[in-house]
Amino acid sequence: MAISIVDGSTAPAPQRGSDPRRASVLLIEDEPELAEEVRLELEAAGHSVRVAYDVDEGLRAARSGWASILVVDRMLGSADGLSIVETLREEGDSTPVLVISALSSVDERISGLKAGGDDYLVKPFDVRELSARVEALMRRRGETRATRLQVGALEMDLVDRKVRCGGLPVELLPREFKLLEYFMRRPGQIVTRAMLLEDVWNFKFMAQTNVVDVQIGNLRRRLDPTGQRNYIVNVRAVGFKLDADG
Amino acid sequence: MQTVEVFRAPAFRLALAFCFAVSAATAAAFGVIYLQVSNADVQRVSAVLVDEAAKSEGDSDEQLRRALELRLTRDIRRLDYVALFDASGAKIFGDVPAVPSIPVDGAAHIVRQQLLPDSSGFEPALFVARQRPDGAVVLFGRSLREVYDLQATLLTVLAIALLPTVLVILAIGAFFARRASMRFERIHSAILRIMNGELHSRLPVGREGDDVEKVARAVNLMLDEIERLLDQLKSVGDNIAHDLRTPLMIARAKIARALDEETDAEILRPILNAAVSQIDRASVAIAAILRVSAVENGALGNRFTDFDLGAVCAEVVDFYEPLAQSKSIEMTVDVRGPAPMRGDVDLMREAVSNLVDNAIKFTPEGGTVRVEAETIDGLPRLAVSDTGRGIPPQDRARVFRRFFRGDGDDVPGHGLGLNIAQTIANLHGFQLTVEDNNPGARFVMAPMAKASLGLVRAAE
Repeated sequence: MAISIVDGSTAPAPQRGSDPRRASVLLIEDEPELAEEVRLELEAAGHSVRVAYDVDEGLRAARSGWASILVVDRMLGSADGLSIVETLREEGDSTPVLVISALSSVDERISGLKAGGDDYLVKPFDVRELSARVEALMRRRGETRATRLQVGALEMDLVDRKVRCGGLPVELLPREFKLLEYFMRRPGQIVTRAMLLEDVWNFKFMAQTNVVDVQIGNLRRRLDPTGQRNYIVNVRAVGFKLDADG
Repeated sequence: MQTVEVFRAPAFRLALAFCFAVSAATAAAFGVIYLQVSNADVQRVSAVLVDEAAKSEGDSDEQLRRALELRLTRDIRRLDYVALFDASGAKIFGDVPAVPSIPVDGAAHIVRQQLLPDSSGFEPALFVARQRPDGAVVLFGRSLREVYDLQATLLTVLAIALLPTVLVILAIGAFFARRASMRFERIHSAILRIMNGELHSRLPVGREGDDVEKVARAVNLMLDEIERLLDQLKSVGDNIAHDLRTPLMIARAKIARALDEETDAEILRPILNAAVSQIDRASVAIAAILRVSAVENGALGNRFTDFDLGAVCAEVVDFYEPLAQSKSIEMTVDVRGPAPMRGDVDLMREAVSNLVDNAIKFTPEGGTVRVEAETIDGLPRLAVSDTGRGIPPQDRARVFRRFFRGDGDDVPGHGLGLNIAQTIANLHGFQLTVEDNNPGARFVMAPMAKASLGLVRAAE
């Protein structure tokens, strides 16, 4: 895969073809069965996982510096997992944190992010959604301010707002341009419907609609009207991935 | 109600205390009058007697005797006592057999039991004994019988006057106590009924307009709200049970069947996939239900900013347009100038989305969905209309209820979208109503009338 925008030179070599980075995930979760499912899913995606079952254990493990990503449940018995995040942030630790919680109100979400969480996922969730979020957090550091994006055969000029596919210009509506830009900033990364709704369309809730799929379908046809080449592939049931290589 | 309870009632005790206070005050006033009147009489008689005794000082025995005799003969009512005793205490003259046991000092003294001159009995009398220069003792006295009779009469009159006062106060106290007690009893039994599950019962409210009445009215309003919430909770509970149980039951059945019968992975896969999608259905239902309460519990106003409702409409239409196109539905947005408003832009986007989503769902192929935003009298107003089958008049109030599904609804959904939209509208002081679009439905979100807005604020 040719990725011109992501600076992956300092990252460890990808373990599997689709994973540019392999994360070391510290999961702080007091529910053993959920912890096990998350661990299996993350390991299947190529990450290494350690599990801590309470606040003290979690804090100790986080301080060891092993983890490149923390996944913290807010409800750890009677304790609030956010206290771990706050403590770490006070100590100057900036490891990305994904907060998972059964508390879904906007206020809870805001307090989760204020405490230093980088993303907030509400239970019940699909473990594949969690896996995609972990991957997105890993890549967040590589986000670019470049004005030109190129992924495989796709080129995007963010200033002139022009897209070329295989050298040929592609006409896109503004909403399609916005959508493609999101994918081109995350080449090869799994992008879930929830992530698209939140980040591209600013919907802070899950719309019960298949609009996302329709939008993706439209974008696919724009990129390749003949239908021979699928640049945005479906990933299991959870979302999509830009696959611009040959 | 039993009589005993009347007397135990706090209101009656209060009346009783009041009665005692009034009686005591009245008795005290009467007592002062009584003392003043009776004392005045005794004082006057004393003064006369002391004066006469003093005057007799200079008289010779003969003069004194004549004066005393004259006095006795004039005393038709037999009220006066006069006597003269020699130095040894023997009576020289008069109608008193012996010197009464009072000091011989020229001052007035009361003798409780003075033998009557005709020895027929005793009576109270006032005496002044005075020593003459020759050692003899002159005695002047006057019966206090009339004075004491007057005092007794006065006392009787006072007592007779006080008694009705006390009785009237007691009667009034008992009346009000009984009334208050019966009122509280009615309230109490209403509360008992409510506690026993008769949630539609209300506290009795009359026309007194007093504080108890105000409290009762407030409690009734509170009960209305609690009953409404409980009804809602119950229907939500029923619907949650249905929305969660059905998919979980299907998923369970599929998995159990797969476990029992199938060993071939290729046959297992679709069964398990179907089970997973049923569980997903349950998860989405939970998320939607939580969303409603999250919006309802959202602290009003703490994230409010100024934004353009027209721009939000344009965004939402832009988002939904591909979906509309895929159903060959024409989608138009009619935004007449900016429609500035203050609120939570994320929530408002969600409300508009739910309306548009709903409109697209219920519009057949080839139909039209139209979104309008405008400013009328400085207030924003939004309308989403479709050309679907519309909403029959009898359902127009119900479509906003949680989990409402039209009869024979074959359109997928949870019946929560319109409820969420209405909740969000209300949070912003807007009203969401539905009218006929001929054909189709037209949802209008407009600011509530000032009066009803005040009610909503007061209810919060």
